[in-house]
Amino acid sequence: MNLQEFLAMEDNCDRDELIDLRGLDFVSDYDSHLMCPICHCPFVDPVRLQCDHVFCQSCLSSAINTFRSADSDEFPCPSCRTPTREVSTSVPRLLINMCDEIRCPRCEEDVMEQDYEEHDKDLCPVLVTNCVDCETVVSRKAFKEHVEACPEVIVPCAAAKYACPVKVRRADIAMHEQSCPLVTMIPYFEVQNTRLNSLELSMRHLQQRNEIFEDGLANIRSTLVESARIGSSAPSGQSVNSGREQSSTRAEANTDPTDISSSVFSSNATTYLLSLHESLREEVEQIRHNLTDLDARASMALMNECIRMKEDMAHTNAAVNSVRMQVQWLMNPRLHGTRTGAVRANTGGNETPRSPLPSSSTAGSSSTTAQSLGPLRPRRPSDSGREGTKL
Amino acid sequence: MGSQKRIAKELAELTESPPAGIMVELADEANLYEWKVHMEGPEKSPFHKGKFLVKLSLPTEYPFKPPTVSFATKIYHPNVTNDEKGSMCLGMLRADEWKPSSKISAVLQFARQLLAEPMPDDAVEGRIAEQYRNDRSRYEEVAREWTRKHAC
Repeated sequence: MNLQEFLAMEDNCDRDELIDLRGLDFVSDYDSHLMCPICHCPFVDPVRLQCDHVFCQSCLSSAINTFRSADSDEFPCPSCRTPTREVSTSVPRLLINMCDEIRCPRCEEDVMEQDYEEHDKDLCPVLVTNCVDCETVVSRKAFKEHVEACPEVIVPCAAAKYACPVKVRRADIAMHEQSCPLVTMIPYFEVQNTRLNSLELSMRHLQQRNEIFEDGLANIRSTLVESARIGSSAPSGQSVNSGREQSSTRAEANTDPTDISSSVFSSNATTYLLSLHESLREEVEQIRHNLTDLDARASMALMNECIRMKEDMAHTNAAVNSVRMQVQWLMNPRLHGTRTGAVRANTGGNETPRSPLPSSSTAGSSSTTAQSLGPLRPRRPSDSGREGTKL
Repeated sequence: MGSQKRIAKELAELTESPPAGIMVELADEANLYEWKVHMEGPEKSPFHKGKFLVKLSLPTEYPFKPPTVSFATKIYHPNVTNDEKGSMCLGMLRADEWKPSSKISAVLQFARQLLAEPMPDDAVEGRIAEQYRNDRSRYEEVAREWTRKHAC
């Protein structure tokens, strides 16, 4: 654990100092090696440093607070001044056990350190309490049992919950209970109570079932009324209705106003749904418009882009053509250079097979002119550059 | 107050089994932090047979801060200032060398040891240290004389 964690742990430690363990005597005379070099008491919650020196946790933390220079995460070991970062809580169990036996100052009993708090509060036999009722002195350990059994404690009659008002000392309660009429009635009361309880339970069950049935009945009635309404409205439209039937349906409508309200509600719901439908349709329409709009815009943009690309392509094509021309023009003189004598004879020969093809591509014709021009003048390196800029 | 408990403990130990030639008591019974120490000059030193009163005062942060030792009795010694304070320079009592694990009895024994073997390299009285180094017999003579005059 590093320094920050250690200090945080120390802060979190709820050290109320209920008991000052350092103020107590230990079971045996203490070996000085088992003492914290800071408080000169046997270790309380020992912790260990890298250099193997052991201190009480609280002593070490106050040492750290004193020695540590601000916001450095190192401190010198209080024993050997080794710069230290880590604090280890793992201390040999042997050491902890050796430091753990304490002698209670009151009863001279040997207690382990971790049990001392409990011992100090409750278990120490020297601790005594006076019973308020019988004035006897009882050790705190046995006090609870004593209160349960003390003959002087005022206790209520066993039939208190059946309204017997008597409250007497525990010693006298047996006498009272023999004569108390309510105590003799207790078994009878108890039987009655259980019966009452079971009846209540079954009643609750029945109530629940009744509710379920009522719900079902109401459902059935509403569906019946619905079907009757549909049945009655259809024939009235056809006006082949017998007066008796009509009057009966009217009577039914009068007797059952809830049905009317339900039908009103259902018509309301229908109109609501219809309007909702209408508005949704409008929305869909709008969205469609937007979509077509977007579509048009997108295709326009695409077209624009296409045209631009096409132009670019044309440019590139032209450039490529010019390059091709130049290359051909450049290549020809070289050929001329290699076969100097033959070239001159060939130029005439070259032209003759080409003359039957006057409709060749512009690039081809230009290359032939370049070819024909090539041998006539000496080639200079600057020529190609000038040609390139022209094109 | 953790410091009081430790001081009380050390005081009890020192009064119960005092180291040779050293006797301690509180200057004021109500104040654990001011001690009066009666120190006998060690044998085979010019301070032999002298009884020196040494004042030991403990800071409230003890044992995290070192105590200070001063000689109330005048003493001719390279490591004790020759003024009314009589402060003693002990290496282990310097703030950067002090360890909380050091005990007062160790401090006092170290101080007494220093009477027998001064440390001229750590001196506070340069002149006496010089003399101790170069003219040992003269130093011892003066020291004996001072002891006789002030500490007997």
